[in-house]
Amino acid sequence: MTSQTIRVGRVLRAGTRGFAIGCAVMQPDIPAFGSFVRAEGLAPGSAIYGLIYDVSMEDDPLVRQIVSADPPEEVVRDQRRNRQIPIEVSVLAVGCAHDEDIRHCLPAQPPVTLDWLYQCTDEEVQAFTSAGNTYAFDYFRLVLDAREVPVDELLAASLRTAAASRAESERERFLIEAGRALVRLLSSDPVRLEGLLRRLSRL
Amino acid sequence: MNERTPEQELDAFFGPRPAEPDSRPRQKLGIVVGGSLSQGLDVKLDRATVIEGLAVGRYVVAHGRTGRRFFSIVTDVQLDALNPLIEKAPPETMHGTDDDDFLARVYRGTAVYGRIHVSPMLMLDAGDDEPKPVKTIPSHFRPVYTASEEEVGLIFGREEEPGYFYVGEPLEMEGVHVALDLHRFVERSAGVFGKTGTGKSFLTRMLLAGLVRENVAVNLVFDMHNEYGWKSQDESKQQVKGLSQLFPGRVVVFTLDEQSSRRRGSKVDGVIRIGYEQIEPEDVDSLANLMALSDVQVGALYFLRRRLGQGWVARLLDEHDPLAELESALERGTIHGGTLGAIQRKLGMFRRFDFLHPRAAEDPVRQLLDHLDGGINVVLEFGRYGNSLEAYLLVANYLTRRIHEHYVRRKEAAQGDVGSSGAGGQEPRPLVITIEEAHKFLDPAIARHTIFGTIARELRKYNVTLLIVDQRPSGIDPEIMSQIGTRVTCLLDDESDVRAVFAGISGANTLREVLARLDSRQQALMMGHAVPMPVVVKTRTYGPALYAELGLAAEGKNGAEATLARGRSLLRGDEGEVEI
Repeated sequence: MTSQTIRVGRVLRAGTRGFAIGCAVMQPDIPAFGSFVRAEGLAPGSAIYGLIYDVSMEDDPLVRQIVSADPPEEVVRDQRRNRQIPIEVSVLAVGCAHDEDIRHCLPAQPPVTLDWLYQCTDEEVQAFTSAGNTYAFDYFRLVLDAREVPVDELLAASLRTAAASRAESERERFLIEAGRALVRLLSSDPVRLEGLLRRLSRL
Repeated sequence: MNERTPEQELDAFFGPRPAEPDSRPRQKLGIVVGGSLSQGLDVKLDRATVIEGLAVGRYVVAHGRTGRRFFSIVTDVQLDALNPLIEKAPPETMHGTDDDDFLARVYRGTAVYGRIHVSPMLMLDAGDDEPKPVKTIPSHFRPVYTASEEEVGLIFGREEEPGYFYVGEPLEMEGVHVALDLHRFVERSAGVFGKTGTGKSFLTRMLLAGLVRENVAVNLVFDMHNEYGWKSQDESKQQVKGLSQLFPGRVVVFTLDEQSSRRRGSKVDGVIRIGYEQIEPEDVDSLANLMALSDVQVGALYFLRRRLGQGWVARLLDEHDPLAELESALERGTIHGGTLGAIQRKLGMFRRFDFLHPRAAEDPVRQLLDHLDGGINVVLEFGRYGNSLEAYLLVANYLTRRIHEHYVRRKEAAQGDVGSSGAGGQEPRPLVITIEEAHKFLDPAIARHTIFGTIARELRKYNVTLLIVDQRPSGIDPEIMSQIGTRVTCLLDDESDVRAVFAGISGANTLREVLARLDSRQQALMMGHAVPMPVVVKTRTYGPALYAELGLAAEGKNGAEATLARGRSLLRGDEGEVEI
């Protein structure tokens, strides 16, 4: 569980459906597939929420040379810390907020280039996946509709993150409610649904 | 040794403890998802509703958008799935019995769910207190709840009201009492149906006890198996009290077989003897099927009565009587010798009936009418003649025909009084005649000729109605069945019997499942004139609790039984109901 605001990276390019950020180094669990992230919106008090669905590292000519030269350990560590090309993190937009009002919908505007992207705290994840005394899973539809995204894995990973943000006594109830929301959306494909639910049952 | 615990001792003395009223809060079962007025409504059950806790015949109430309540009865219970593929290939972990399995918990109520089909019967507008027949249905997604005690009371009336009698509890509503409107029950002929061993006699005895207690009609019971008047045994060989014991002074027992009554320890108030000279051709006509009398032979009966006079039966049975009056008729061929011989042989059956005498000292009809006119209920035990259908039919037809004639005369006289003086005549007290094995009286072939067919058809015109008890309703003339106002039906298996019971009942198709699923004991589906909507009841037990309740009401609270009942009631804390 995290309560500190952690910067993941800066926005490289952005669109309404999602955006890509760049970060220099990877830390344990940051950036992580299925994590909830938040970027500031242009309007004061507004925010854009997303889910990390891909983390990729591009090579560059120097790295190619080093790979073929069997470099010493110090050089490898230096290359990892001071990369010429940033680690690229793909984010799927799944919600936006104005003040405290969180909605599971696409943002009206994408974040601006070089804006910071933050890892959501546990409190923020809980707020995003709650609605009053119940849970909010409307973002499932945005994930299911996304193209070129490992949808099922992303849903399972995001629910793992959201469950982990809660007290242990509440996790099972949360996952069961999430499963019920998925049943509504995936009833036409019971085989896929069962596979997804099995992933949740093992969380 | 069979020792009883102190608790059992107390129960034995006080009678079974009354069930606690259903104080559970009204439970939401689900929401309306489809249906029609003619076919009934589909209700998707909430996840929290355990489908195994719902049975066909149960009462539910749908709450409409306008505040209207729709009183309905569950007619089917189903399992459904959002996708039929789930039924074909259920998730593997759900094959076991582990209800706590994650997948099972997710699927239950979402991918798979329970569904009930309900038939709306009555509706009650907001602010109104009189339910009306249903003419519309609730909107989509309106909630459906279990019926409350207050709602059951609203539909059926309260047992505390005069003329109402508690007959049982609705299905799965322990402690809630369904009261039967006895005034409506006797307004038209009624029937108690059910296959053998389903408790028809107990149910009938209980209904009769209600009629006697509430004094809504005077009863004449043709007690084929000696079950209603004095004590008898239930199937577990426990002795149960008869009506005469419960209402001393208000129920008298007559018998056709004094010896049998004496052997059984039955206290009888009189013995019925019928003289041969009192028998008319119509009485024999009603036995035509059983005696295998042809149409020619039936016609000859009337001829013989005319020729031989009042003593025609006695003379035909007298082997030494030359029957001189018939010689010319035999010569002319008005009557054939073979026909006469056949009639004599067939009437020979009467010699086996000891209640038939060449001359009877008293007119049996007068004996019964004296009591009936005075508001005293009569049970006629048949003793060993209960096993003889011929005897039962002969006596029941004989007495009923004459009592009916008496009622017709009195009713017409009362109407005449009204017409001439405007002062109002003395209407005969409503009479309910209870007959068993009714299909033998009301068979389509003979129903038109017997007095019982006439009574059933003419409804309450002359203040006489029938309470027919039968196990083969399919054997009853459909026209008669359609005139049966209230039908109390225990379990029936035979398809033709089920069809017969539902003849003339609107929305009967939806109730078939309900009837088919009744328990074989102490459950009955009541429908028709006396109940605003069909109801499945767990009929009240005919035992000490009922005795105690009836004892309080009986005969001015005199006698040992009433005293004991008063004591029981007092100790139970029902002081408000007892006057000491």
